[in-house]
Amino acid sequence: MVQIIISSAGAGGLAEWVLMELQGEIEARYSTGLAGNLLGDLHYTTEGIPVLIVGHHILYGKIIHLEKPFAVLVKHTSGEQDCDELGCKTGTQYLVTALIKNKILFKTRPKPIITNVPKKV
Amino acid sequence: MRRTREEVDATLQIAKLNAAELLPAVHCLGFGPGAGAAAGDFCLLELEPSLCQQLEAGHSLVIRGDKDEQAVLCSKDKTYDLKIADTSNMLLFIPGCKTPDQLKTEETHCNIIHTEIFGFSNNYWELRRCRPKLKKLKKLLMENAYEGPDSQKEKDSNHSKYTTEDLLDQIQASEEEIMAQLQVLNACEIEGYWRILDFDYEMKLLNHITQLVDSESWSFGKVPLNTCLQELGPLEPEEMIEHCLKCYGKRYVEEGEVYFELSADKICRATAQMLLQNAVKFNLAEFEEVWQQSVPEGMITTLDQLKGLALVDRQSRPEIIFLLKVDDLPEDNQERFNSLFSLREKWTEEDIAPYIQDLCGEKQTIGTLLTKYSRSSIQNGVKVYNSRRPIS
Repeated sequence: MVQIIISSAGAGGLAEWVLMELQGEIEARYSTGLAGNLLGDLHYTTEGIPVLIVGHHILYGKIIHLEKPFAVLVKHTSGEQDCDELGCKTGTQYLVTALIKNKILFKTRPKPIITNVPKKV
Repeated sequence: MRRTREEVDATLQIAKLNAAELLPAVHCLGFGPGAGAAAGDFCLLELEPSLCQQLEAGHSLVIRGDKDEQAVLCSKDKTYDLKIADTSNMLLFIPGCKTPDQLKTEETHCNIIHTEIFGFSNNYWELRRCRPKLKKLKKLLMENAYEGPDSQKEKDSNHSKYTTEDLLDQIQASEEEIMAQLQVLNACEIEGYWRILDFDYEMKLLNHITQLVDSESWSFGKVPLNTCLQELGPLEPEEMIEHCLKCYGKRYVEEGEVYFELSADKICRATAQMLLQNAVKFNLAEFEEVWQQSVPEGMITTLDQLKGLALVDRQSRPEIIFLLKVDDLPEDNQERFNSLFSLREKWTEEDIAPYIQDLCGEKQTIGTLLTKYSRSSIQNGVKVYNSRRPIS
């Protein structure tokens, strides 16, 4: 049987991140992939409503406090040097990197931004 | 490549949003360098609040499972089924992203927050509390039941033995749940290994004790440890005598001396098992007589003591009783009900309850299990339960 440890550094070592939930998929404009590219601007209204501008869209969302928080686990595949006093269990371990207690949910239809209004001839 | 405040404001203008209605700070979101990384390098684990608190306290969790088993996740004291939940939405995890409340309470001098998205996923790990899978524990320990220090088996060193760590490596359960079950099994740690006692050996120890109680005319509620060890030490190892007292009694201290209050229920139950295991079935009336005579004087036997150990058949003539141990039955719910219904077609709730009690999870009662896995009917004015489908 396999034992995979999920270890935590404790509150001091755990950051708090935010989850953003979007409907649909995000594709990179160019085939170089998403890494390094901008997604968009995230604003909040004075009432606390999140507003996301992505490409030609505006999305309005809401902040939800999660009843069941998430942990972000990052996988570590290690060699012999990661043995602890209990010996090596497997080469795989997960480290809890952050906790997520809030999410920003965008589920309404995006509003298109019209930038080119042709002038009447 | 970083956006400037001017660019942000220009975008707001094009989008026809009024900056006066927005908080001054904006998050410019971009994808971090690892964002396109292979799935599986990071993932989201959904936590119930108590698990979240444990992680915040620095405790670890462990995933346990064999290649052919469903994985479970264990905290120190609970076990959860681990499943992957898919969502049609995209989940982006963003470090350093502030909520409006946080922005309002914090002093931010800059009003652009360049934020990197760490990664994204369209699934997460979901946990559901489940019963620990403890049946394997007894199976492993029975590979080499302890028959006493003088048995030939103990002299051979190549029989399987398990330490606590070995058990954690083999059983899909949390450490506390394993420890609790070891106690239920009357297991003891001998030279660092967990051993279950061979039943005959356990009865031999118990008989030494009950005979000593009888010859010394002690009360069963006040059995002195030291005298037991003194008198029985020459016959059996002291640790085993004390272990037997712990299994069959409750320890207490009075005026500096250690005593045990022996449990009549446990002793009567063990005596019944000893009698019943020697035959397929017994005439109920005869059994009850022999049983009462076999237990220490002063103890009263009742059939209630045998719940989950033996089953009475009041339909047969003569009425009979036979050994049926709940821990010999399958662990899976449907398989358990199948085996019970193959033994007997129709059960009353009173008869079946001891044999399904251990299947009750956090939110399931005997009633909900019966509703799910059986069909009820009335027979002779009594409600009985039978299988939902034909049993071959």
